[in-house]
Amino acid sequence: MVETFAVASGKGGTGKTTTTLALGMALAEEYDVTVIDADTGMANVLFHAGLADVETTLHEVLAGEAPVEEAAYDRFGMRVVPCGTSLAGFRDSDATRLREVVADLAADTDVILLDAPAALGSRQGVLPVVLADRVVVVLQPTIPSLSDGLKAQEYAHTYETGVAGLLFNRVTDDANIDAVSERAERYFEGETLATVPEREVVRAARRAGEPLLAHAPDSEPAAAYREAAAALEVRERDSGAVADRFRNAVVPEQP
Amino acid sequence: MKLPQGRLVRQRVVADPGTPLANALDAELTGYARLESQDALLLDAEGVGVLTFERGVPVVAYHTGTDAAGSAALADIAVAGPYRLELYELDAEVLEDVHAAEELRVPPDGPADRLAGDPTLAERTRKAAPDWRAADAAEDAGAVVAFLEDEAKIERIRERAREEAEQRAAEWDL
Repeated sequence: MVETFAVASGKGGTGKTTTTLALGMALAEEYDVTVIDADTGMANVLFHAGLADVETTLHEVLAGEAPVEEAAYDRFGMRVVPCGTSLAGFRDSDATRLREVVADLAADTDVILLDAPAALGSRQGVLPVVLADRVVVVLQPTIPSLSDGLKAQEYAHTYETGVAGLLFNRVTDDANIDAVSERAERYFEGETLATVPEREVVRAARRAGEPLLAHAPDSEPAAAYREAAAALEVRERDSGAVADRFRNAVVPEQP
Repeated sequence: MKLPQGRLVRQRVVADPGTPLANALDAELTGYARLESQDALLLDAEGVGVLTFERGVPVVAYHTGTDAAGSAALADIAVAGPYRLELYELDAEVLEDVHAAEELRVPPDGPADRLAGDPTLAERTRKAAPDWRAADAAEDAGAVVAFLEDEAKIERIRERAREEAEQRAAEWDL
């Protein structure tokens, strides 16, 4: 049983990595969860999950230098596969191998969360959306973020990936969020899973190298993320079929 | 909104509306930015977005094509990039009348926040805003709501994204 979600936004700075790990921790109370940092060009998960010093990351796996098990770390009740930040690591890595990694990990986990790159303009950017069953679109209540979120949704449609829902993130108190989310839902396929308020504690968690739900489990944003995870209905799938799908996915070449 | 021609201080094509906002803030510009869309597909009407500044902080916004003012003008300016940007300097006294028109005003951090989606720039702009702008800062998120009310504009964004995604799918043999 496995469903793969890509956490996507189409724009940077929306708090995708915070969201990915928060949803992962919340879902981990019920499911076996694996979080993969699919943002191979701008790795972030390792800083959020206290894995900044680990030697083996997805980069080494993608470069064929290590088996995926060596880059999978049990942290905060989840399995976390971070990406490295070294330029050399990035040069050596081969993003097209990501699908094999996902297929391997899909064999024995319930839920896979892919932290997707912000930009959709490249092969690496699109790949997590192609590989996922559904995307969670992370939005801020701003015009550029909503435009980019709409763009991410159209990409998902084109690649026959569903939309699991919207998550409004970093919402300031003056953002008139009810009016914004109600109107946004007219255009997006999924409904609003949660509205996460902008709070200093989110930055503090990142500085501490801990996912928000570990750093401040009783905070307002943490409660909102748990609400979002509860609203995500994970669908049962046959994991063998899923693994085949990943292996067979035609991977776009670098343009 | 009538403005006398100012002294041109910068002229270039920019992709991101955050760029002129940051330029104006850093230079503590008093004057205005003229933003002309370079994207015929998303151009609502023949028209330009005008955003005025006082010591680098945005004060009023107007769109000459749609006649929208204030936060609604930000919505019209927001999705029409890339832009040909011109920054003009003007004397503060010349801008006084225009800046007195409350219906044209935007929150000081509104353009950075809602238009550029840049919280850091928004924070910097808030800090630079003088006390008399406090009332404007309380304004609601009118621009985002106005944007979401414009179904035709949203449909164009979606169509264009679909075309782009399909074109890439074909290129990459997906």
